[in-house]
Amino acid sequence: MSEIHVFKQRAMATEFEVRIADEEKTYAASAAQAAFTLTDELENKLSRFRANSEISEIAQLAVGEKLRLTEPVFACLTLAKKMEVATRGAFSITAVARQTQSIKPLWSLDNFHICGDAGKLEFDLGAIGKGFALDRMAEVLREWSCEKFLLIAGGSSILAGEIPAGTAGWSCGLGEDNSPQRFWLKNGSLSGSGLAVKGKHIFDPRTGEPAKRQNRAWALCDTAAESDALSTACMVLDEAEITKAIADESRWLVILEEAGALRFIGTRALPNFA
Amino acid sequence: MVTLPSTSRELSRREFIGTTAAAGAGLLLTSCSPDAAPKTAAAKSSPLNKINIALIGCGAQGQVLLDSLTVIDGLNLVAIVDIWEYKRNENVRRLKSQGFDVKGYENYEDLLANEKDLQAVVVASPDFWHAPITNACLKAGLHVYCEKMMSNTLDGARSMVQTMRETGKLLQIGHQRRSNPRYIFALNRLVREAKICGRITAAHAQWNRTVTNDLSWPKKSEIAPAQLAKYGFKDMHQFRNWRWFKGLGGGPLSDLGAHQIDIFNWWFGSTAKSVMASGGVDYYTTHDWYDNAMVVYEFATPEGTARAFYQVQTTTSSGGGYFEMFMGDEGTIKMSESPNTTKLWREDRSTKAWEELVGKNYLRASAVAKPAGDADKVDVRETAPLLEYEIPVSFNKKIHQPHLENFFNAIRDKNVKLNCPADEAFRSEYIIHKANEAIIAQKTIPITKEEVEA
Repeated sequence: MSEIHVFKQRAMATEFEVRIADEEKTYAASAAQAAFTLTDELENKLSRFRANSEISEIAQLAVGEKLRLTEPVFACLTLAKKMEVATRGAFSITAVARQTQSIKPLWSLDNFHICGDAGKLEFDLGAIGKGFALDRMAEVLREWSCEKFLLIAGGSSILAGEIPAGTAGWSCGLGEDNSPQRFWLKNGSLSGSGLAVKGKHIFDPRTGEPAKRQNRAWALCDTAAESDALSTACMVLDEAEITKAIADESRWLVILEEAGALRFIGTRALPNFA
Repeated sequence: MVTLPSTSRELSRREFIGTTAAAGAGLLLTSCSPDAAPKTAAAKSSPLNKINIALIGCGAQGQVLLDSLTVIDGLNLVAIVDIWEYKRNENVRRLKSQGFDVKGYENYEDLLANEKDLQAVVVASPDFWHAPITNACLKAGLHVYCEKMMSNTLDGARSMVQTMRETGKLLQIGHQRRSNPRYIFALNRLVREAKICGRITAAHAQWNRTVTNDLSWPKKSEIAPAQLAKYGFKDMHQFRNWRWFKGLGGGPLSDLGAHQIDIFNWWFGSTAKSVMASGGVDYYTTHDWYDNAMVVYEFATPEGTARAFYQVQTTTSSGGGYFEMFMGDEGTIKMSESPNTTKLWREDRSTKAWEELVGKNYLRASAVAKPAGDADKVDVRETAPLLEYEIPVSFNKKIHQPHLENFFNAIRDKNVKLNCPADEAFRSEYIIHKANEAIIAQKTIPITKEEVEA
């Protein structure tokens, strides 16, 4: 039986968890601490609730004004832009801004700069920032040679590395605690979105209206930033739109819950169910 | 960006211009004209518009400074220095991916031998290396921004001031609150001009943090013992946790307290005349320096004696976080780098009309203050909310950015003064070292005006 060490820390208004397998405990704790430290640094840059974050600074940009970004912020916004394009606007970090602005904020990225093209750039990275943090935490753990890990952000996004010895993978359930619908995850990320915990907190960036397409959606991707954003987008897309959105992405798989049954959309191979 | 109240045209240019880069200070430049605009033009046409810089030390504080150095306009980051190959290579790789043509060096001697077009360095090495590195760089003709503490010894700090004077180069010490627009505004306008606190009789500052494990390192990136010894470290544990070891750093009183004890000096406009302190290695078993410390300074102000209490506890985070609070007979101001922690209180006996300060945009109020009505009448309705006041200056750059910008602006323009030159910082440095001495001596140590001068 593989020994798994579990470490927790609050960040980004939720709880992050690092699980490391088959490693000496003190060393694993140090590696987890390094990963948590990175999460704190990312939150300082990415939180819209911190006055000195880059996201707060971006929110002050006038139309036509440019701002040089640090590497993590530029990387996160680049991914956000990619996911917005891929989902035809169903995922957008300006979804919350649309609640107060009549026009959609527009922005462009170039050579580590952001430029405000329209509206006020009031970004909310809540639906991609935690996933992005998990991806960066994974890089830290690999630097520390802790390859067998599972990272969890608030129970809604997970990122698995290599698997504990003697197992078929990290056992992941879809839905409630100890869900019977479980599969084995290795080197991939699963994120879930839904209305069960926080109610109607997801807004359709295209209309500003609360999400109404799905009750629950999961996305399986290689990176947590992708799965985090994609699962959110799926809350406001219908099945045909989801199929179209992920048609070009062979590494994405969307799982919808429909009348108690699961529906799989995408060409990525199904995971091994337990 | 710095957002100032509309009456900022009445504020002195020096309050803000030294703290902000020309770019991104639109409101600032508008409100501080006419002398701000020519400075911007001069900077753009200056041959030093692109300042070639290097960062020495890529540890935790170096990373924080790097975040600002990579976004400030007009800098050309040409090199980074770190004895740890792991950190050095990681940073070179990351910076190159951002378009910086940056070289990595193991030590400052190699940097100075190879980079002949540098104008400035930013030093964020362990404290005991600050003096040798800073002195060598100043003597090599470079301007230096050096993190606090200036040195782990008073002799080292004093030598830095002497070298600054001998070379005529700039030496800014990293007390970044000195360039924080919110602190500058609060001190100059609220405390000194409007005197909202009345007579300040006491100050209290603190920085309490939770228990943390000692820092470790990826096992594949360990530095060889001979290499560590060459740079003054006993082993990897000491290298990663140098702040806790005598001879290398100064412990929490200097790591955390330095920033805030400096605020005592700055805001009182003088240095302490005595210090008493208690502290010890109460909790950790692997450190030299005190994990918990409590310090009392006595200040002589023009209005009388004021006492300042400082505490740094590293065994709990539940003690209210970090702030600096100045308490007077008419009001109290609690400052923090975190705007959410900043608070203002007005004593009922205050003679100052705070609503007038709201009218001047020196304060922002949560509601319009009601004029006093007839004492023999009263109207009854829902419970009225308590009137709250806040500082109307917002600031959402990176916390260290204005202080670095002040340094680079001073390099470009001799009319821009450093907000924390080494001789000024030495006065704070001195009383911080004395606090650690007071813990050992277990008695009150008097401090004269003469001894705090380098």
